[in-house]
Amino acid sequence: MRLVANAPGQRSPSARTLERQRLMFWLGPPLLWFFVFMIVPYGVLVYYALGSVDYLTFTPGVSGENFLKVATQDPYATVIMRSAKIGLLTALCSSVVAYPLAFYMAFHVSSARARATLYILVMLPWWASYLVKAYAWKTILGTKGILNETLLALGLIDVPMTFFLYNQFSMVLTLTYIFTPFAVLSIYAQLERVPQNVLEAARDMGASDGEIFRKIILPISVPGLLAGGVITFSLGFGDFIAAALVGGSDSVMIASIVINLMGVAYDWPLGSAIGLVIIGLAAALLSAANYLEHKTQVRL
Amino acid sequence: MTEAITLEDLTKRYGGATVVDAVNLSIPDGAFVSFLGASGSGKTTTLRLIAGLEQADGGRIRFRGQDITDVPPSHRDMRMMFQDYALLPNLSVAENIAFGLKLKRTRARFSGRVEALVDEYLRMVHLDGYHTRKPHELSGGQRQRVALARALITDPAIVLFDEPLGALDANLRHAMQYELKRLHGEFGKTFVYVTHDQEEAMAMSDLIAVMKDGRILQVSSPEDLYFRPNCRYVAEFVGAGNTLLDGRIQSLNGASVRMDMGDGIALISKSSTHGLARGQHVGIHVRSENLELVADPPSLSDTENTLPVRIDEQVFLGGRTEYHVSLTQSPGTQLTVSVQGGQSGRFADGDLAHVRVDPGDLRILTQ
Amino acid sequence: MTRRLGRRGIVWPAAALVLAFLYLPIGVMIAFSLNAGGTVGLPWTGFTMDWYAGVFQDRALMGSLWNSVKVSLGVVVIAVCLGLPAAIALDRFEFPFKGTFRRIVLLPIVLPGVITGVSLLGFYLVVNVRLSLVTLTIALGTALMCVIVTEVFARLQQVGQSQAEAAYDMGATELEVFRKVTLPSISSALLGGILITFSIAMDELAVTYLLIGRENTLPMQIWSMLRRDVSPEINAIATITILISLVLVTIGILLSRGRTLVRD
Repeated sequence: MRLVANAPGQRSPSARTLERQRLMFWLGPPLLWFFVFMIVPYGVLVYYALGSVDYLTFTPGVSGENFLKVATQDPYATVIMRSAKIGLLTALCSSVVAYPLAFYMAFHVSSARARATLYILVMLPWWASYLVKAYAWKTILGTKGILNETLLALGLIDVPMTFFLYNQFSMVLTLTYIFTPFAVLSIYAQLERVPQNVLEAARDMGASDGEIFRKIILPISVPGLLAGGVITFSLGFGDFIAAALVGGSDSVMIASIVINLMGVAYDWPLGSAIGLVIIGLAAALLSAANYLEHKTQVRL
Repeated sequence: MTEAITLEDLTKRYGGATVVDAVNLSIPDGAFVSFLGASGSGKTTTLRLIAGLEQADGGRIRFRGQDITDVPPSHRDMRMMFQDYALLPNLSVAENIAFGLKLKRTRARFSGRVEALVDEYLRMVHLDGYHTRKPHELSGGQRQRVALARALITDPAIVLFDEPLGALDANLRHAMQYELKRLHGEFGKTFVYVTHDQEEAMAMSDLIAVMKDGRILQVSSPEDLYFRPNCRYVAEFVGAGNTLLDGRIQSLNGASVRMDMGDGIALISKSSTHGLARGQHVGIHVRSENLELVADPPSLSDTENTLPVRIDEQVFLGGRTEYHVSLTQSPGTQLTVSVQGGQSGRFADGDLAHVRVDPGDLRILTQ
Repeated sequence: MTRRLGRRGIVWPAAALVLAFLYLPIGVMIAFSLNAGGTVGLPWTGFTMDWYAGVFQDRALMGSLWNSVKVSLGVVVIAVCLGLPAAIALDRFEFPFKGTFRRIVLLPIVLPGVITGVSLLGFYLVVNVRLSLVTLTIALGTALMCVIVTEVFARLQQVGQSQAEAAYDMGATELEVFRKVTLPSISSALLGGILITFSIAMDELAVTYLLIGRENTLPMQIWSMLRRDVSPEINAIATITILISLVLVTIGILLSRGRTLVRD
């Protein structure tokens, strides 16, 4: 009689022990890595944020003063709110701009090859250098930029317009441009899942295209819009590159402030406090997005 | 006969829910045993516990008497055939079948025999010549045969099946049922099978364990399960032509029980009186093929278990005809009578007739 | 019956307009990289390839490109060596605080790079490590691991557990399961994830800005060029990077999404 497929004498390990060994084999290294390079650095932020700085010398402590400063003192809370506003506008505008293209790809392109080509065409600007994309808008919107030159050449204006550049408008435009490809792809991924038979059934019941769009397509797009929106918002919120290239005095972003506090003003405690506040906000956003996505996901 | 597998108070919980609830079962060596139940009854989890793919939260599993509760799947002398076949898409048919022969742990045991074995088992499942095909080039039925060959080739003592026929169409399913039964006879291995399809379980099994809410309700041969269910759930779950009536025990007399069905109707059942008491409310179960439909009672004195009925509707089903009738004394009570052969036309809708049942065919169900 | 929805006469021009919006600045960029005039902008003074020649002769620029490649390769190694196991652990096992672990791994998706940079800058300062390309690689590897984790995890969920279970059941060891079952089933997703990670790392500026040591990466070099004087050389670099990403992205898409796109 043979109990196990093993050579005799070879004892089999306990299933539970084996399972635990397997788990630690896979989980151990990443867990250790994230502890050292993420949790510990966040701990360092807490250490700094609770201390104070005086003439470039750091004194550890346990005061909540820096967090209080972030909440009450100008311009920190205002700038965080403004960054959020820019992030939100970016997310909204890029979703709105992206939707027609995603819609076209999902419902009007019938050949697989054409769809793959369009997919790559959308993907390409997304992977082009962020810095260069922001800079491109500077060359378009500037006083000697293409827009002004064209308008001057057409005789529509006599002097170059200055309000195209270095303000919140140019920031949102640039960021929208940068994130539109991403929004197209995330909305398309959702629209692609709309099954053919649902459309056919709706048509069969006499629904107009407008009704199908409002009652079927739009609800199904919501998770894609949300998922894309959350990421676009975060990227817009944390931007400092577009701010430096096309932003103006009315569009200073929180990331630029943090960089200044760390690198120029050497106010590490305050910079760390802002960092922690943003980490908290990001974690909350991740949870909210997770919750919303589950709640709005249409099972297909 | 020795026991291949013994389950002792086997228990598995997920979160707060007890999926397998103190299950006890003995699976004889060489038997074809099925777990039958609706989805969520715990049958698949029980099978995965036997395979070692899940860890029990309580109770023991024994293999030929030895405790294997804590032995990992790779060290149990069993092979599982998965519901989705779990073939490796990047490997050819032959490579898939040979997978279990070329592993670090098994290499030595099969060295030099791999090719011959693969050929032999491919032939056995009628797939010779398919060596180099990839799984995606096969039909559902063929994939299934590959999975079957892969499960059998390492010569395990026990083969476990997790609803392997679910994805096939009806004709293919019947052919495969026959095939599995043939292989079972040929190899003499213990087959443990999970299904929600009662006909499938009946067609193949020596023993069927009906599960509900993580518990085994009844373990018996297909025939016993069909004609002698031990509770209402099993009676209703197994087979289509069921009649379940409510009654109250009027008197117990030796091996016969007299039941009051209300509206002045009484029925007599010849069954064990064990655990029954006067006045107890019980269920009375009878298969439609055990009911007899007659125009008149044979004699005025022989009226035992003979009830006057009105024919409501008849359905011709080829080999048999089903009559839906209601009791004249209690028009709300409906019965289904199944009559073999082309007897349709004997009665017309609305006719009055009598239904008779042998006291031995009436089952009293207390649960 | 057609899948077409809405009037083509409206949907098509709208889609074309969006595509034009996406390509206008890129077109401008490419056009000016070929303009002979010394400043970026009009007027158009003639065709030249000089700016491209300039790019290849610019030693600082070429050096920074090489640095970026080294960093990005390192980032890919870190992200794969740790992100792949993390994805497998998340897919296959139940463990305490799984939700928290998952959230920590995915946090960099929504966390501004500057904040990641700040926290690691503080950490390096405390443990007294000099900033270098190595410390930058570690930081970017941590931040970009989420890409590999999400790509691989999604594929693992799609493939399901039963193939691995079948292999365990047949007696395969952990490494045999990984080599013969898991790796083949995720290889295209992994490759796609690697290409995405590499491209992001090549273009990363937010984390880099705070953690850069003495040696510049390509985006840092372009950044400092943009701050100094604006020369059409920038446009030439931009065009080159776009061409490189065209190649990488095409390969990446064909590998990771190819099957679903080609099926009709």
